[in-house]
This record gives sequence, C-alpha cells and structure tokens, in this order.
Amino acid sequence: MFGIIVGLWPSVAISWRDLIEFFTYNGIATSVLSTLFVSLTAPLVALYISFMVYSQYRFNPRWQALEKRLAPLLSLPHLAVALGLVYLFSSGGLLWSSLWGIFGATAPQWLGLPHKSLVTLLLAMSIKEVPFFLLIFSALGRQLPIKSWLLQGRALGYREITSWWLLVFPVLLKHSRLALLAAMAYTLSVLDIALLVGPNIPELYAVVLYNWQTGFTVDEQALAFVGNLVLIVMLSILIAGIYTHEWWAVRNLRHHAIRRTSLKIIRVSRLFSHWLGLFSLLTLSILITFLIWSLGWNNQQNMLSTTPIDWSFGLWRDEWFFMRGPLLNSLYIALVSSIVGVLTTLLALELQRQAKRYLPDYIWLMAILLPQLSMVYGWQISHTALNGSYHTGWVVISHLPFTFAYSYLVLRGPFQSLDRHYELVAASFGCSYWQQFWKVRLMLLRPAMLSALAIAFSVSVAQYIPTLMIGAGRVSTITTEAVAIASGNEQSITAVYMLVQASLPFVAFFVASVVSQRLRGSFDVSHQ
Amino acid sequence: MLASLMPLAHGQETQRDNAANMTASPQWQKILSDARGETVYFYAWGGSKPVNDYLRWAAKEIASRYKVRLRHVKVADISEAVSRLKAESGKQSAIDLLWINGENFSFLKQQELLLGNLWSSIPNSAMLAVQALSLQNDFGVPIDGFEVPWGVGQFNMIANPNIFNLNIAGKVNDSKITPTIILKAAQQYPNRISYPRPPEFHGTTFLKQLLVGLSHNDKRLFEYATPEAQAKLLPLLWDYLDQLHPLIWQQGRAFPSSNTEQLSLLQQNKLDMAVSFNPNQLIKEQQEKRLPPSAQRFHFAQGAITNSHNLAIPKGAQSPAGAKVVINFLLSEDAQKQKLNGSWGDPTVITPLLDPASTLPSQQELHSSWQQVIEEQWQQKYGA
Amino acid sequence: MFRINNCQISIENGCIELPDICLDSGELLVLTGPSGMGKSTFLHWLLGDSPKHAKVSGEITLNMKPLNSVKIEQRRIGLLMQDVHLFPHLTVLDNICFALPANLKNENGKKLSKNQRRDTALALLKEINLDYVAQHYVEQLSGGERSRVGLVRALANKPEALLMDEPFAALDPNTCMQVSLWAFSQLQSRGVPSIMVSHDINNIPPQAQHIDLADFYRSL
Repeated sequence: MFGIIVGLWPSVAISWRDLIEFFTYNGIATSVLSTLFVSLTAPLVALYISFMVYSQYRFNPRWQALEKRLAPLLSLPHLAVALGLVYLFSSGGLLWSSLWGIFGATAPQWLGLPHKSLVTLLLAMSIKEVPFFLLIFSALGRQLPIKSWLLQGRALGYREITSWWLLVFPVLLKHSRLALLAAMAYTLSVLDIALLVGPNIPELYAVVLYNWQTGFTVDEQALAFVGNLVLIVMLSILIAGIYTHEWWAVRNLRHHAIRRTSLKIIRVSRLFSHWLGLFSLLTLSILITFLIWSLGWNNQQNMLSTTPIDWSFGLWRDEWFFMRGPLLNSLYIALVSSIVGVLTTLLALELQRQAKRYLPDYIWLMAILLPQLSMVYGWQISHTALNGSYHTGWVVISHLPFTFAYSYLVLRGPFQSLDRHYELVAASFGCSYWQQFWKVRLMLLRPAMLSALAIAFSVSVAQYIPTLMIGAGRVSTITTEAVAIASGNEQSITAVYMLVQASLPFVAFFVASVVSQRLRGSFDVSHQ
Repeated sequence: MLASLMPLAHGQETQRDNAANMTASPQWQKILSDARGETVYFYAWGGSKPVNDYLRWAAKEIASRYKVRLRHVKVADISEAVSRLKAESGKQSAIDLLWINGENFSFLKQQELLLGNLWSSIPNSAMLAVQALSLQNDFGVPIDGFEVPWGVGQFNMIANPNIFNLNIAGKVNDSKITPTIILKAAQQYPNRISYPRPPEFHGTTFLKQLLVGLSHNDKRLFEYATPEAQAKLLPLLWDYLDQLHPLIWQQGRAFPSSNTEQLSLLQQNKLDMAVSFNPNQLIKEQQEKRLPPSAQRFHFAQGAITNSHNLAIPKGAQSPAGAKVVINFLLSEDAQKQKLNGSWGDPTVITPLLDPASTLPSQQELHSSWQQVIEEQWQQKYGA
Repeated sequence: MFRINNCQISIENGCIELPDICLDSGELLVLTGPSGMGKSTFLHWLLGDSPKHAKVSGEITLNMKPLNSVKIEQRRIGLLMQDVHLFPHLTVLDNICFALPANLKNENGKKLSKNQRRDTALALLKEINLDYVAQHYVEQLSGGERSRVGLVRALANKPEALLMDEPFAALDPNTCMQVSLWAFSQLQSRGVPSIMVSHDINNIPPQAQHIDLADFYRSL
C-alpha cells in the first residue's frame, strides 16, 4: 500500500506549465481517444463473441472439446497472438502471398490487415480475449441454473436462442463486470502489443506514457505524473462505460422482451456455431508459424522453391540449457503465488459474506487497475528501503496482488451466486458453519477454483515488470527472458521463448479443463 | 603509406605496455584477488541473440580465468536498470555493471550514481583508441571516467540493392547515399522505405544524418542549437520530409517502432531498407541467411554518425572489483576480437585491433542540444 | 411432540396470528394460503434461518425442548424443498451418507466406518427400490426420483421434525399423487411430525391437520 503511494507520488513539483505542456502535446487527444476506443471496444467485442459461442456450444456435445481447445490460445502471450496475426494476415503476409503465390502472382497491397493500425490492435486484442471470457462464462455457468431458465423461456414460447439473450445474457453480463474491467485495464496499459501492431501516428497512450515514465528529465517526470492521473481518469471512464453498456444492453433486451420483437443479433449468433473449427484453425496456424520460425525458417527460404529448407533444432538445443532454470523458477513462483492468491481470494470473499458487506470491486482489483510501472516502482523503493533481499519469496509476494485480483474476478461471481439452499440443507443435517463451508461451498466451487487457479497461474507466469524489478535479476523467469528477447524482434529465438513461455500456462489450463470436467459443481448439467 | 602507419604502430605498442604495466601493479592485483568468488550482475539489453551468446562466452571465460561469475540480467529496455538505480538512490545496489549510453548515462552521471575513475583503474582502458575514435564524449556529455567504451556504433543502412542503384547524378558511389537518392528511391518504389519512429534513437539519428546531408555539413549543427540556427537549418529537414513521407511505408501514417522491428520487416520483404548502428550487421545477417546475399550496406555520403556504447558501474555496486575485472576482460584483445569476429560483429574500441578498412568514414555527432529540438519538432509536425 | 405457540408473522402491510400448533409424532400439518402470506418464511423461521422479507415471532418447542435460541444445525429439523437440492458433487449414495448422523453407531456401540455408512445408506435406498440410482448424480435422475431420494436423504438424518416446502409441486399430477402418498406413509410410519406448505387445497390427505393462513390475516 505504502509502495503504491510512493510510486504514484510525483518525484518533482508539478506546475501549471506541466499541465499545459501535457495537454498541448501533439496528438494527445487522439492518443487518449483512440486508446479509450480500443480499450472499450475490444473487450466488449470479445464478450459478445464469447457469449454467442457459449450459447451455441454450452449444451452441445462439442462443449468439452471446446473447453480443452481453449488452452493453447489462452496460454499464448498476447504479443505472440498479435505477432502471428500480423505475420499471417497482414498485407503481404503469409496467407495472401501464398494464396497468390500458387498462381504465380503477387497479392495486392491493399489486401489484408494493415501492419499498424487501430483495427489490427482491436482484432488482436478481441481474438485473444475471447477464450478468457469463455473461461469466465464457463466458471459462472456452473453456478447458474441456465438450463431451467432456458426451459422456462421455452415454456413461455421463446426459442432457445432468444431465451439465451433475454434471460441469460443480462445475468452473465452483470457477473462479467470484473472480467470486462480487467480486460479493459489490460488493453489500456498494454505496451508491447501497442508498439508492435498499434498505430503510432500518434502513438497509443500507453506508449506515450511509457516514454515519459522512462525519461528521467524533470519535465518528463512531471508529464509522467500527469499522465498517470489521466490514465486513472481514463479508467474511470471505462468503468462508467461498462455500466452504461450494461444499462443500455439490458434496457434494449427488456424492450424486446416486452414487445416480443425479434432480435437482430440472433442472426449473427448463428454464425458462431462453426466457431470451434475456425478457432482451432487459427490457433493451429499461429502455433505452426511459431514452430517453423523456431526451427529457423524465415522469408529468405521460399517454401515453394526447389532449394531444400534447412530445418534446424540447433536453437532449441542451445537455448534449452539456459531455459531450464528460468522455467523452474516460473513454475515455482506461479504455483505458490496462484495457490496463495486463490486462498486469499476465498478468505476475502468469505469475510465479506460473513460481514454481509461487499467492498467495491475496484479495491480488490487495484493491482490490475493502477498504472503498473509506477506502482511497482513504488514497491521497488519500499523493497530497497527495507533492505529486502532479492529472494524468490519477494517475487512471489510481488505477484500476489495480481494473482489475487484475477482469481477474485473469476471467483466472485460463482461464490456469490452459489445457491445458499445447499448450505441450508447441510445445516439442517447438523453441519456446523465450517463444515458447510468445506463440505458444500468449497466442493461446489471446485471447478471455478480450478479456473481461477489456472488464470492466476498464467498471470503469474506472465509478470515481467514485478519479477524484474523485485527479483533484480537474481530471480530470472522464462518471462523475463522471453520479454527481453522479444524486444529484439528476432523471429526465430523469440518464437522459441514464446512457445516455452506458453507451455506452462498451457499445462495449467489443460489440466484445469480436464479435471474440472470430471468434477461436479452445482448445475453442472452435462448434455443429457 | 608506411610512414603514416608508423606512429600508429608505435602508439599501439605503448598502449599495450601501459596496459601491461597497470595489470602488474599491486592495485590491480588487489582488485583481482578481491574479485575472486564475486558474482557480477550485468544489466544489459537482452534482445539480441548474438549479444546474448557473446556474453555467455564471456561469462565462461571470466569464470575460468578470474573465478568471477558473470550473470547477464536481460532487460527489454535499459531504462529499467536506470529506474532501479534511481529507486535505490545511491545505496547498496542490485546492479554491478550496466550497458548504457546517451541520455541514460547523462542522467546517471548527473545524479552521481556512477562509480568514477574507471579509466585510470582498469588496465585495458589504456588500449582504448581515443585518437582514432571519439571515445571521450557520449552524445556530447564528457565521459570523465564514469563509463568505459565497449564497442562502437556507426550509423548505416541495409537495403535491397536495386532500390538505391539508381542512375541519378551519376552512379551511386561506394554505397554512399544522400537524402536526394533516398527521395528518388522512394518515388521509384513507393511504400518500401521507412525509418524508426523518433524519439527512438535510430530514428532520431536517421533525421540527424539527413539534416547533415541537406545542410551540407553546416557547422552550426555542432554547436548549441540557437533559435536562429534552428530557424535556418530545420526547415531544410521538414521540407524534405514533407516530400518524403507521402512516398514511404504506410504513407508515413505509421512507422516501425524500433530498428529491430524495421529489420524484421526488411527480412519479411515488407520494406526495402533498414537502419542499423552495427556496420557489420549486414554480413552477420547474411551469414545467418536472414537477408539475401544481394542486400547491401549503405552510409551517408558525409560519413556515418559514430558513437560508442559503454559499460558503467553503479556507485552502490556490491561487487565493484568483480565488475572492474569484467570490464577489463571485455576490453582485452581476446574479448574484443571475439566480439568483432563472432556472430555479433561489433567493432572494436582498442587500438591493437583497429582496422581502418573495416570502419566507415565517421561523421561527428551533432551537438546534444539538437537531439531534443529535432525530436520535439518532429513530434509537433508529424507525430499526430 | 412439535409445538408452536403465540406465533405471529408480520408481512408487508399486515400480520398473521397463528393458532397454537401441536403435532404428535407422525402427524402432518398442511399450510395453505395465497402467495406472499409468508408460508415459506414461516418454514425457514422454524428451521432457524433468519427470514429476509418478514418478521416472525413465537415459541417453538420440539420434544419439550425450546428451540428458539438453538442454531439450525442443532435443531434436528429436516427440510425438503421443491428443488430438493441434492448435492451435485456427490452421488445419490453419498448424498444420503452426508445426511446420516455423524455419530451413528452399530450394535456394539462403535462408530460406523465409511463402508458401513455406505451400506446403511444403500439399505435405505433398497427399502424403496431405488438402489439402482445409488451411483447416479442428480442430473441423471428423473423428477420423481429426485423427490424420493430427497425424502430418503432427509429421513436418513433422523430428524425430529420435517418441514416441506411444496415438495412435489414440480412433478406431473400422477407422479405427484403417487410420491406424496408414499411420502406421507413414510413419515407416519417413522413417527416424524411434519409441516408441509402447499398451494393445492384439493390434495390434503384426510388424516392431516390444515391451516389456511388467509383465515388468520389481519391487515394493518
């Protein structure tokens, strides 16, 4: 807490001149607006797509396949998805040039994604967030009697798909607020993807802010402070956006429900019944791209030409020796910090339940919401002031706020919407309060807890700034290595590290999806 | 010819002797023995595999020769290390050694966070080629012994050969290019030229080179950027860019974020040129088969802006002796040779290895005040 | 003996003063009344759950023991709701084991082992010919099976009284008739006094006591 204040507090005096300089910085308005636009739109697009997919697949035999296939894309770093998309689909990208190449022609320039633009960023972020929302829905759906709502809807003469929108969507939307907020906060402040595929005339806000934060002149420090404040204001605009959208969507749906007019979005929904195939294809092509990069393939070697491509495992062989240590560190840190994060979340939720008072969500999600660089800088100051050693334990502690926040956002919905009658029944059988908690509540929450664990685990694996700033290079993880290496844009080695980095969360998500399919939570009604 | 080489050869021997004398001195022997068993945490950009490989090699050598453990702490941006030093504010530091130059050095020096007298306490710094290369200043800031040059960057461009091989005003001579040639090339091949977005350091240097070329090496560029000089010289650059931008990649509505991104766009054949500070980058990329054999290196006709990248020790370093031993090794002939000839190809900074043939003619760095002026006005004109 | 004296239910703009209730072992009371009268609230209050929408006062005694200050888990009152809330993470058999009293002992006075508890539960299922669902999960049961398993589970706990909140309302009329007749006979033969909330005035078993809340409603 102290660290946050230290980190965000201006290190220099702020004057009017700095404010004026901030607001007259060329392109700042466009930067702020386009950043707000992407941050608001990408998560919402992802949410809608996820809901349409969820409604098409939930009570469909393919649901379990879908849950398992989410793991690879969930675990690939955002940057990898962006890299893969641009490589495959940009103008002059692999897809178009090989399609045209078959006919011996060159693909037209206008075809494909622009290399750096708002659209590309929007697309990359939306695609990457879809599996995240599906995971959230899956955790939530187990606690909600969706099946009986749909049944009631049908009894009232609505088609199933209409019932999904009219009855299920408003509830899921309400319970997804935190996930939306997290996705928005992430998009708002993400740096590496913004640099790679975001527009840079003008630059996105996160990039502008980063340049100030890492500039050390007095002027830049002042601008960075103002910039942090503006970032927080932008966040509150996004929060307002979440509520406004929810209000608007629910009102609209209610109108439809009352007037029984047909919903246009239903027609779009249908498109997503083939999503699994497309999605698997996309994931697969990104993975294959990275795999062939890592084996040394590059554009100088033409797939269609007669000269053999010299595939080589050399890079893997060379780097493996150096990756083992960081990989184990990542594993250990992520295991401890995700487990502790989930336990603390349960504690926080239980204490609030007992007090019958829920604190505002943004307090719990603070770690995701505040500007990370400045916040962690504050921790670093406190850490050095305490003469803290550069021990793995400290790194685990620095990951906790993040693993906690993410597991809180996954678990809060299921925890609160758990049908309390189960505990009431258990009480009538003579179970004490804690017996009810252990034997009923926790047991019913197991699938959601697994999702929370997997997400917290992957969040911990992905931490670069806290690990570097608190671990001080004594504790190197696969991510500190991967992020540093990715900054050099060297295709093949970046691919090696990103694949290895993705492997840890992949295992976590995969195990979680397999195990949770064997567990039964409330309303875990399989396709009968 | 022979006569002109004589003093160099003579100087070379003296420098070697000086280094050897210092190495034998009790002070250095004490440092060597202090350093035994120490671990040196070296904060350095980790985005380049050749550099990482080189440091792995160095770590192995240092461990076996001096019993010092060198740990490369890979960072995505060295400002992360600078911000740590700021947070520690001179107290005990987690950093023993760092790889910096430019603004970061200037900030750390001014905040008095760096250990001084490095040149006088590290034997091999006696071999630094101070006469042949400008190693006394780092972007206009006197080094004063607070950092030690490690390697040299010379601004050059890597390009597909056909793009600049235009027959304008005679043949392109010795791979030398001028702003005019770039403009003509852009007209002939629209969408294929770009440069990293300033204030990225390579992008800013590209602008500086253009400005030098457009103003025909105006001497005011090497003095403080007075308002008059700005009013006189900068319009040359902006008029030029006004013509160039509509013809470049994405019509100047987007730029690569860094030189490395530009290089990867060149590798993917989405651009026809990239900029680099490593004069040997082209050869190394070709050896790795990442660029076609036909690709060529170009530099600006007035010469390549040349500056050093350097090693510094924080004041609060916990293994200063070890750090000095590492620097001394990295300046040794073995290490400098490996750096030049290995996969990195970074030019040497010590006299014994200096080879005038492999270096580009150098162009003096602009006065440091121009940097901010150029970046700010560029942002104002093209940044949005 | 289940007694409820001086009971008053305050609901929005009104209150209900119930006559004193006294149920002997095996006796059944059916509560009817329009919705919003606090029927479910009353049951939850009896169970020991703090009701949300209304205030209930009165004295509860079960087998001469006053219950008002006793916690739910010590009241030994069972509850059967329309959705019987079988635990979805347990099989039918384990649901019943869950309900078996913790200190269940065998003839020798020793606590039952896990397997012995399972055997006991299975015996209960067998009594009503439902042993074929022992290893099923709730979503694999039909509505009638759920209700019957729910009752078996409630009785397995050996409650001293049972509360039922429209327990069979979700079943189709035929099954409802069948299951409720079966249930009442079970309760009677085990001697458990029970109170059932129902909206179906026509289906009150002849031997049962009946209170219609509307008869005791006073508006404010």
